[in-house]
Amino acid sequence: MHILVVDDQALNRTMLQYMLEVEGYQVSLAENGRVAIETFNQVKPDVVLLDVIMPEMDGFETAPELKKMSGDVHLPIIFITSLDDQKSMLRCLEVGGDDFLAKPFDKVILSAKIKAHGRNRELSIRILEQRNELKYHQNLMDREHKIVEHIFSNALNNNRYIKDILSHHLSPASMFNGDMLLANRSQLGSSYILLGDFTGHGLAAAVGALPTAQTFFNLTNRGMSVGDIAREINNQLINLLPDDMFCAAAIIELSNSGKAVSIWCGGMPDILVVNRNSGIKQRIQAQHMALGILDNDEFEHASINCEVQDTDSLILYTDGVTESENKAGEMFGQERLEGFYNEQPKAELVDVISCLDDFRGATEQADDISLVQINCLASPKPEAVSENSIPPLPWHISLDLSPDDIRNTDPVANILDMVSAFEGMEKHRSTLFLLLAEMYNNSVDHGLLKLDSAIKDAEDGFFEYYMQRQEKLEQLTEGSLTLNISYAPGIESIKLSVTDSGEGFDTSEIADIQNRTEQHGRGLKLILELGEKLEYQDQGRTIIVHYSVAQSKALDEIPDAETAEIE
Amino acid sequence: MSLSKTLSPDNKTFTIQIQGKFDFNLVQEFRSAYADIGAENPKVVIDLRDTEYMDSSALGMLLNMQKNLGSKVSSIAISNCRPQIKKILQISRFDKKFEID
Repeated sequence: MHILVVDDQALNRTMLQYMLEVEGYQVSLAENGRVAIETFNQVKPDVVLLDVIMPEMDGFETAPELKKMSGDVHLPIIFITSLDDQKSMLRCLEVGGDDFLAKPFDKVILSAKIKAHGRNRELSIRILEQRNELKYHQNLMDREHKIVEHIFSNALNNNRYIKDILSHHLSPASMFNGDMLLANRSQLGSSYILLGDFTGHGLAAAVGALPTAQTFFNLTNRGMSVGDIAREINNQLINLLPDDMFCAAAIIELSNSGKAVSIWCGGMPDILVVNRNSGIKQRIQAQHMALGILDNDEFEHASINCEVQDTDSLILYTDGVTESENKAGEMFGQERLEGFYNEQPKAELVDVISCLDDFRGATEQADDISLVQINCLASPKPEAVSENSIPPLPWHISLDLSPDDIRNTDPVANILDMVSAFEGMEKHRSTLFLLLAEMYNNSVDHGLLKLDSAIKDAEDGFFEYYMQRQEKLEQLTEGSLTLNISYAPGIESIKLSVTDSGEGFDTSEIADIQNRTEQHGRGLKLILELGEKLEYQDQGRTIIVHYSVAQSKALDEIPDAETAEIE
Repeated sequence: MSLSKTLSPDNKTFTIQIQGKFDFNLVQEFRSAYADIGAENPKVVIDLRDTEYMDSSALGMLLNMQKNLGSKVSSIAISNCRPQIKKILQISRFDKKFEID
């Protein structure tokens, strides 16, 4: 320990130095306050013995300066004094002195005091070290929280929704929200909304949000049903979360037309269907347990479907809303919320929030509070996914099929899987399937199996027809089919043909197909509508259909042709 | 290719969802699917969100279902059709007989 002795009298300095060095302390000397201050930073004393009356700078002036220079670490200052009037002693304490040492010096008392104050000094140094360490960890934690927050906001802010349809209010009780709102639109234009509430709040609760969001966006992009989405998220959470953590959630799909909603709800408060003119129309209770509790085989994916109109809204909220307490410890409650909507059915979320704030008054928010309003409006058609153009590559696929192949394989679906692997063909996939399936089935049914379509016209003939087909197909031993599908880039046209080894037929029979109304013939009419050209060759054994991939009437533009209504 | 059916917990909606290919291979399964729609006159929803392929036999199956169920259901809707599937239904004028959403 290093002790600085500040005294203008050489005798005092020498005596103190001697006494302290005998005790094993390191000692530095200064003959007045100014010198003490000047040498302070080199000496770095642990305790200062300070005379009161000195020339140049006395003890009263020096003490506060030394304390200041010592900064955050406590520097014990012991005044050397022969003064014994109360006023001077009081002043010593006022300027920062910690103790007194009376002249003449007593060796035992000096040693005891140095020890005591040395201990204080050490304690202070230790506290400072610990404080710095805490600060370091605090900074580290803040930094890590910021990183995590960044990741979360990236994961959760991918929300895509239509502003008129979805409005929301999320108010977390801590940095990380245990409530979670996810929104997306499918390619068919329906809107998906998930409001979830993890057990607890803060970082621990928010951790489950990452996998949930990933699964949600994945499945909604693919247009899955709310029940299937719930099942997938449940699977994820059951694998990830500890047993005491789960996620109450409501998953909503509002159709593109805005007329139908399907709801999967587990462990959430009742969802309200509010009509803007008449108030609450319906309460939808949670039908299921929260996500992350039940194993896959116990999980129930059944959803509720309702029809809604454009003046209806769905109100979703987490229990933070109904469990908000006022000063008297009363909860806001569902009844109060419903009462509010019955009185003000046109209310927007801001109105509900201010009602809730008024109720809560100065009481602190204890849980995450989330409110979501879904207005049941029709939404604009989703923007078409940018389509790949078809490269000018001619291709041709040909299959020869034996009766075994026809029985045991699914050549039409397989060919279509191949075709859609060509760039730009995906959007024609279902239409090409239909064309080829109609051609193929006609060739199998009539060319090879010699089935009579008229069977379909009888009572229950439809099933009878397919029973007979199966029977005959099982017995088929002879004959073959050839399927060809090719693309001609020059005319942007796909040519499909199916040839059977049957007897052929009188192709003039089908000339008046458009005007026929029987159970059969529906397939040919579809071919005529969707294809560009239909022709028969080889006495009806070969059917050829041309399909134009250039036609942009592909999707929306349905010709209002006076085709006979199909019965 | 598969078919799944769900009666909603409030017994008001009976949903048949068809994955992949909707054609005559499903003829029996489809018929037995709607044999048990419950007694409460539900709405039947044919959910085609996962249906990639469909041909004229599927149209026949739908019409047969309609004939069969008649007044036992409040309505029949075909929902969540992909654009190409929707086009097939429109060409066949199914929008006159079914709610197509």
